[in-house]
Amino acid sequence: MAEYDQPPLSHPLPPEPPRAGFARGLSGAAVLAALALACAAAPLMADGSAVHRLDADPVAAALLDGRGSLSFALLAAVLGGGLGIGWALLAGLLGTLAGSRAERRTIAAAHRMAGWPLALLVPLAGGLVGPVWLLALVTALTAAPAVAALAHAELSTLMRAEFLTAARAAGLPEGEVLRRHLIPNLTRPLLAAGVLALPRVLAAESFASLLGLGLPPALGSWGASVGLAARLGDPVAFAPPALLLALALWAACAIADGVQAGQRKS
Amino acid sequence: MNHIAVHAAAKPAPVETAALTLMLGDRVLLDRANLRVERGQVLAVTGGAGSGKTALLGTLAGQLPAGVDMAGDARVDGHLLIAQGGRLAPRRPLALQVAEVVGHHLGLDLRSSLRRMADGLDRMGVPAAARRFDLPPEQLPESLRWACLFAMAVAVGPAVLLADAPAAGLDPTVRLRLLHRLADWARADGVALVLAGRPEDGVAGVADHVLTLRRGRLLPPNPPRTEPLTPLEPPGTARLHGRGVGMSYPLAAGPGGKSRSLTVLHGIDLDLRTGETLALLGETGSAKATLARSLLCLPPPTAGAVVWMGRDLMATAAPPAAGEARGDDPDRGGLRRARRDLQPLFPDPASSFDPAMTLGDQFGLVLESLRPDIPADRRDHRIDEVLEEAGLRPEAALRWPSALSVAEAAHAGLARAILSEPRVLIADEPAASLSAEERETFLDTLMTVRDRRRLSLVLATERYDEGLRDAHRGIVMLAGRVVESADAETLRTAPLHPYSRAMRAASRGERPALEGDAPSAFAQPAGCPLRRRCPLAREFCAQAIPALEEVAPGHHVACHYWDTPAEG
Ligand code: SF4
Repeated sequence: MAEYDQPPLSHPLPPEPPRAGFARGLSGAAVLAALALACAAAPLMADGSAVHRLDADPVAAALLDGRGSLSFALLAAVLGGGLGIGWALLAGLLGTLAGSRAERRTIAAAHRMAGWPLALLVPLAGGLVGPVWLLALVTALTAAPAVAALAHAELSTLMRAEFLTAARAAGLPEGEVLRRHLIPNLTRPLLAAGVLALPRVLAAESFASLLGLGLPPALGSWGASVGLAARLGDPVAFAPPALLLALALWAACAIADGVQAGQRKS
Repeated sequence: MNHIAVHAAAKPAPVETAALTLMLGDRVLLDRANLRVERGQVLAVTGGAGSGKTALLGTLAGQLPAGVDMAGDARVDGHLLIAQGGRLAPRRPLALQVAEVVGHHLGLDLRSSLRRMADGLDRMGVPAAARRFDLPPEQLPESLRWACLFAMAVAVGPAVLLADAPAAGLDPTVRLRLLHRLADWARADGVALVLAGRPEDGVAGVADHVLTLRRGRLLPPNPPRTEPLTPLEPPGTARLHGRGVGMSYPLAAGPGGKSRSLTVLHGIDLDLRTGETLALLGETGSAKATLARSLLCLPPPTAGAVVWMGRDLMATAAPPAAGEARGDDPDRGGLRRARRDLQPLFPDPASSFDPAMTLGDQFGLVLESLRPDIPADRRDHRIDEVLEEAGLRPEAALRWPSALSVAEAAHAGLARAILSEPRVLIADEPAASLSAEERETFLDTLMTVRDRRRLSLVLATERYDEGLRDAHRGIVMLAGRVVESADAETLRTAPLHPYSRAMRAASRGERPALEGDAPSAFAQPAGCPLRRRCPLAREFCAQAIPALEEVAPGHHVACHYWDTPAEG
């Protein structure tokens, strides 16, 4: 059998498309990691002055606040991402079990809610409920619809993929198709959708804390410090947390963008 | 050195190049070409993907593509370029865009531009009722957009019209109708028309001169193969039967909560014999792909029966009854056995591979599922064999699907299909993603494999002659119905149904005798689905859907007036 050779001149390789989102995502991740490290190391810098935060060096104080903001954002993002992905999977499951109508309703709800100003719920909850974990849950809920909508879009694209038909043509039972083809191809896009929750919860929490209705003061938060400094009219105390917050928000958005871009490309 | 002097005339020709050389990096796209196109002449430049057609047209239009270096001379008088894909802004109302272009070239206001445009649309045969200038192009059917683009060119009336991949993506019958009208205009108005396209796009059919761009040279085209690769063997007995195969999809409930559905495939009967090749011919909306998938029960049809070797596949493909354990029986109802015998080829082979696994792993999975009789340590050997048979190197097993070129993916798809030693291949436009030589190579490989293994083959395609070339029998489909079925020879030489004739004409680059565009699946006319386009249509065609009747032994036609000669 003749080997299949490409005629040398017939296919110019298209120039590598620039991986625009990728670099951005990478720098976002680097910035966020650096921030997290700096915040974690802040007590060493602050020399035990954590209790009297306002007297301390403003940069060290801002870094100390970052511990609260970042860990809360991480917790809420994991919760929100998980909720959103669960929502999308539930819709998909309903689709196979109870018909496409149920699936469409479930996900239409997510689309509608993604358009609501859910972030307003966070200060409300901050003012009304006590425990931090409940606040985290509410914050997570504000991010979940957007994650669900995106995750479901990825899921339904994948469900229509031709290679699943090819797998069925190879006589694989549905369980095997799920295990061998669907799940390995689903993890990455679902995680990518989950990352979308990070910038949202960070922004929602900072907004609530700015109003003084967010995290309890003991935990510390960039939003709360910015709000306090603004009320006191103290530019020196205002600048560091505001800058760090802006940096963290940019980094979270960059990560989410980068992951999405990488997803679309593959 | 190429030297193509099409005509020697005293007046300078509107398009003339002297030793035009185009380089992309150190790759020669075009090597010292001398090209000359006279007024009223139509030149077609064909070539496969990436052969440099677009660069040539861009250069002629004075827009050297980025990264391409030019040497030599090119002189083109007052030209207009229709770029690949048309390049209309999708969201702006068409009228504005037309007025902009026409107005820019002729210095006219909106009204006179639109009037000229209306004349152009007349020449493109667009009925007045279909002219909706206030809509943005994205809401217009593809064919109307192309007609508008051509009409725009007619309205501007340049000395030279350059069209890159004109009307690509349209159905052959619609595309050829438009191209012929464009060529008519060019000849009547003395415009030099240069059409570039892939060889299978049919631009060659309308042109006075055809050149093929191959490895940097402009050469006369190779005539395509018209005979079967090897003489076809007579088929054996029928093994695969479709009886009343139909497919309908549920739609959202209508007013009053009535459940509605859209039927795309209307009770098709078909038999496939061993070693027989059956061409399913049809264009968009003919449901040939749906039929092909129904035969594989992927998904099973909603009506009728598919029987393979005496076993009803639809019963076996149905999901197991509740309570029945799913994984217990490895070959429930013989479905797996049938899957082993019936294998598909996909229209987009690249997407039919799991991006998260190497080819070898996927092939191994197929073998594990369909050929448990082959011991695990023999699988690799078997995979190497089929890869070579399909024209790939055995190393391809180690590659990831995303690393394959389109052509390699097509060959890999073929390799996977023959992995289980099937008896029937059901191919839905298997070469749709390929062009020119790659396409021919792939089809030749497919036919070689078929002959060696004495496979039955169902080949769904929109290319009439190409599909029938290697087939024993053909079925022409329109809007989910069979309109003509006969042996391949009859269909090639003397088709009777107006639609078959139009498809045949289009595949040969001739003018198809059909007007207008295919109606959408949601707005099928009552009676014969072809009646709004058919040259033979009479009043009665609107009243009854013509039934398939036998007009000669083995030759069926569904048309009320197949024996009436066309008027005029
Ligand atoms: S039935 Fe009438 S409209 Fe249909 S193909 Fe025949 S002549 Fe044409």
